[in-house]
Amino acid sequence: MTFFLFNLLNGLQLSMLIFLMAIGLTVIFGLMDILNLAHGAFYMIGAYFGYVVFQATGSFWISLAIAPLLPLVLGFLLQYFVLQPLIDRGRSAHLDMALLTFGLLFFVIGLIDFIFFETLGLTFMSIDKPAGLDSYINIGTFYPSYRLFIIAVGFAVALLVWVVLERTVIGAVVRAGVDDREMVRAMGVNVYFVFAAVFALGCGLAGLAGVVAGAELSIDINMGVQILIPTLVVVVLGGLGSVKGCFYGAMIVGMTETLSQAYVPALALFATYMLLAAMLVFRPQGFFGRAPKTV
Amino acid sequence: MQETTEENWAASVDTDSSRHDPLDRTALRDQRNFLVISAIGLVVLVVAPLVVSDFYVSLLTEILIFGLLVSGVNLLLGYTGLVSLGHAAFMGIGAYTTAIGTSLLDFPVWAMMICSVLASFLIAYGVGILSVRTKGVQFLLITLAFGEMFHAIAEKSRVTGGDDGMTNIPRIDLEFLGLDADHDRVFYFFVLACFVIAMAVLRRVVVSPFGRVLVGIRENEKRMLAVGYTAFPYKALAFAISATLGGLAGSLWVQHGFFVNPHLMTWQMSGEALLMVIIGGSQAFFGPLLGAAFYVLTKDFLSDLTEAYLLFFGLLFVLVVAFFHGGLAGFAATLARRMRRGSAKQEGDQ
Repeated sequence: MTFFLFNLLNGLQLSMLIFLMAIGLTVIFGLMDILNLAHGAFYMIGAYFGYVVFQATGSFWISLAIAPLLPLVLGFLLQYFVLQPLIDRGRSAHLDMALLTFGLLFFVIGLIDFIFFETLGLTFMSIDKPAGLDSYINIGTFYPSYRLFIIAVGFAVALLVWVVLERTVIGAVVRAGVDDREMVRAMGVNVYFVFAAVFALGCGLAGLAGVVAGAELSIDINMGVQILIPTLVVVVLGGLGSVKGCFYGAMIVGMTETLSQAYVPALALFATYMLLAAMLVFRPQGFFGRAPKTV
Repeated sequence: MQETTEENWAASVDTDSSRHDPLDRTALRDQRNFLVISAIGLVVLVVAPLVVSDFYVSLLTEILIFGLLVSGVNLLLGYTGLVSLGHAAFMGIGAYTTAIGTSLLDFPVWAMMICSVLASFLIAYGVGILSVRTKGVQFLLITLAFGEMFHAIAEKSRVTGGDDGMTNIPRIDLEFLGLDADHDRVFYFFVLACFVIAMAVLRRVVVSPFGRVLVGIRENEKRMLAVGYTAFPYKALAFAISATLGGLAGSLWVQHGFFVNPHLMTWQMSGEALLMVIIGGSQAFFGPLLGAAFYVLTKDFLSDLTEAYLLFFGLLFVLVVAFFHGGLAGFAATLARRMRRGSAKQEGDQ
């Protein structure tokens, strides 16, 4: 029983980390039709910048507060000055942007490798957990308190995103934008600014996930790609553009990965991909996605 | 009088048809360009290994092998308009089929090469049937999922050494020709022969009515449906053919390096295949080969920098997607056109 509880919490912890990534990805896709494969890069930027800030200040909390700002700003600049102008000049939002951001992911991986490994000789790094979160809590079994913190952060962000999207004017504009972009534009909303702001927030959350993960997992060159795959699975499972689907999708993927690893190790790597493939074959729009309008 | 008019009329129809059927003329010019470029390319590929050092022969072999893989990818990307992020898996299937058959089951290499091609074709056809119902981003994601599934199988499989992979894989036995493929130059020419055959087949596919349908699907799937072509079977077959080239590439790859491990099948590899196609030029038949050459040579040039070569590639990729849709091949074509126009103008001036 305690073994099960332990794994359940681990699953929840992973779910929340993936959720932080997936929420940005799915809203960006819903609003702008851009599959931002560079999302993994923003996660890395968050983690590496978090490490730098941590080294400079020695405080986890300062690093947690400051590090997500860099991916946030970069995300804004990318959307406002690069992606949107290209779309306006006739590049297809769908495929060209997926390819372009994919190239960007490679670029950032290469750049980080060049700076941190080639120049500074650092390979595996981590941020120290803050005092108070660096021990174990007895909940029938001894469980690392930092992982509970990750779960709490995940739920807090989920709640915050829900409140902002459902209960504020900004949220109303975003939801309307997902439904009918042209109409929102006609109503006099500066859509490009909204796009860039949402893109930035999504990237900021990815950066936040990076810092949070940087104290639990190691910060290394593969981290961005490693998290990107389950994130994509979540976004597809939940339905591209669906916030609710994203939350449930993250739960399903996090649990599947953790529980299969614990109970059926032979299936561990597969389970998620089988889930994804099955979903795309039988219900390509995901749990909560809308069916495509026409063929 | 009557007769001459009719003759004139017939003649005028003839000239009219040759003037006003742009498809025919483009096809003819395309065929001529193709033959000229292949002839030049073949001469280069035959002469080059005779003049460069052993090390570069090995690099040339890699270029041809990757050229096979990415030319296959381009049948989907450039001709059909589908972006697959799982093609490395089929290279892996080809590679593992050859590796398992030769080093575990002691079958001759040539037999296993045929098996590799068949296996990648059949498996890809199955995957294709499931995948091509989706399109755009969803197609990209489903191919990624299938690709990673095969990668996971390779990682898990204990008979093939799991993550470590397999070593000591033999090369093809060319003794009946009095040759020893363990010599890199001999093996290079064997790869070149495979490459030429595969590219000739691919060319046939591309210019056939089947290939035209694929281009039609890329341009406008609804219109193709309206004129009576259901896209689905065409796309599934295109997927299988494109993966088969990957399978052949994989089979040659294990022989080239004498070993295989699951790293060959990661989605980064699939992504790098996309890089090669886009950088080389997805609109041109030999564009991907150019991309492969560029990739192999640059990677070698930057090899001291481990992963940092991605910095350069990623940036270039972004620039090509954003500004030069034709890639290297498109750039070369524009240059050639400019030069031709320039020389024509000079002649006109004289």
